[in-house]
Amino acid sequence: MKREWISGYLFILPSLVLLAVLLFYPLVLTFIYSLSDMSLTATRYLGINAYQRLLASPMLARVLTNSLLWTVLVIIFQFILGLSSAILLNRSFFGRTLVRGIVILPWVMPGVVAAMVWRLLYDPQLGMINHYLRTLGIIDRPLTWLSLPGLALYAVIIAAIWKGFPFSTLMYLAGLQTVPVELYEASEIDGAGDWGKFFHVTLPSMRSIITITLLLTFIWTFNYFELVYVMTGGGPAESSHIFPTYIYDLGFRRFRFGEASRFAVIDFIILLVFSLIYVRLSLKRGSME
Amino acid sequence: MMRAIETRKKVVTGIFVVLLVAFVLFPFAVMISMSLKEPDEQFTVPPRLIPQRPTVVNYFHVFGRGSMFARYFLNSFLVAGSTTLVVVAVAIFSSYGFARLYFPGRMGFFTLLLLSQLFPLAAIIVPLYRIMSRVGLIDSFLSLIIAYLAFSVPVGVWLLRGFFTGIPRDLEEAALIDGCTRWQAFWKVVLPLVRPGIGATASYVFFITWQEFMFALTFITSAEKRTLPRGIFDFVGQYETIWGNLMAASVLICVPVFVIFLFVQRHLVGGLTEGAVKG
Repeated sequence: MKREWISGYLFILPSLVLLAVLLFYPLVLTFIYSLSDMSLTATRYLGINAYQRLLASPMLARVLTNSLLWTVLVIIFQFILGLSSAILLNRSFFGRTLVRGIVILPWVMPGVVAAMVWRLLYDPQLGMINHYLRTLGIIDRPLTWLSLPGLALYAVIIAAIWKGFPFSTLMYLAGLQTVPVELYEASEIDGAGDWGKFFHVTLPSMRSIITITLLLTFIWTFNYFELVYVMTGGGPAESSHIFPTYIYDLGFRRFRFGEASRFAVIDFIILLVFSLIYVRLSLKRGSME
Repeated sequence: MMRAIETRKKVVTGIFVVLLVAFVLFPFAVMISMSLKEPDEQFTVPPRLIPQRPTVVNYFHVFGRGSMFARYFLNSFLVAGSTTLVVVAVAIFSSYGFARLYFPGRMGFFTLLLLSQLFPLAAIIVPLYRIMSRVGLIDSFLSLIIAYLAFSVPVGVWLLRGFFTGIPRDLEEAALIDGCTRWQAFWKVVLPLVRPGIGATASYVFFITWQEFMFALTFITSAEKRTLPRGIFDFVGQYETIWGNLMAASVLICVPVFVIFLFVQRHLVGGLTEGAVKG
């Protein structure tokens, strides 16, 4: 038994060392940096005053609101689109295997490439979106989607939904295949219609996979950097920054490492707290059934 | 009556399938169409979806004189490939340990590993940058490979562990009874069976490192060491973007990951969904 312990520790040691050195140690450093006004040249320790300064910064509220808006809208629409397309692709129709393969493509497309293509789509002159909207008479002159303060973030949100929803489709498609057929038959005997079956059989059976998928898409979306960065650069007038882009901007365009670290600490705490509450709640609900 | 309902259902399904495919493929169509347009046509307003005189000249321009695109391709292969090799080497052992061996604290360490998925990479980029510059690694492939290990090792271990747990335990036990050591049972019996899982894990790691952008943007300063996601900005001009070249380059960047995905799709999707369900 003791031998198995030792080999167990030896087997997992390399990954734990990497984790400690590359993730946990830097995270501790981020906390330490966040208490100073570190820049490229000088470092002055500020202590807890640093955070008083942060709370006074108007950018904190903006980045926070943007990040939440961005994450919530993206995961809600990815959930709706993912689940409905999974149900659709679970039906039998001609060419289903091909269509399933096609639907994954946006998720496989590298993020920077997707961002470039959507920049082209939104282009005021060359973009297809403006062209079609004008042809349909919805707008009368081209919109500069990515350089209007109220619009830019929403434009990127649409791109992010397109880019990421196939992952949800994949997960839900796998989940649908685990729903026991007998349950559908039983509820049919009970006289349930399509919607009844959906709410009383499909959704409850897929609860655990929905829980996990929402958590994963939440984390990935909250941390997603390249789409916003490449499409708007956080602009116009810093109106579309979310946490990752603003941290990068502070750190490596203005070299304000201290302030960047403070935003990073807030970013980390939000993710941690949200995820812990979410896992707690879903475990509790799971154990009651 | 029944048949009428069936037919209607089929038609509705068909319509939605067409809509879904159109939504998914439209940006791809725009990308490919622009990559095939002649220089004059690229700037025609209003834009046309079907190029009038399709040409592959943009694809030649991408590799043309003064362009470092071929170099970036090589750099990306080097960085993503090396990261993948290291991750697989580390993950094979760790995921087997987590899947099969009993030792105190196993669940705790595994939770720690899962927790690392929560890490916003933006939250550690400042300290990693400072560490890299202190040890003189800034502007080297090694700095990227090391940074990529931070997020790809946990994912790799998590994915591969799912494949290990899918192998019946009896096989190993039979081997142990036959006089194999634990190591032989692992190396000779289990590992060959989990080969598709290793392929899927390697592909996924390659896939996420191939497209990594934030570290590539921060750590690499000299032009000839750029990887593709950063290198593609060469085609974005300060005042005017050459869209034909940019889109041709985009298509080319997609090709390797699409090809890999085509081959491992089934195993990878199985691994991702199963890994998620089993936690």
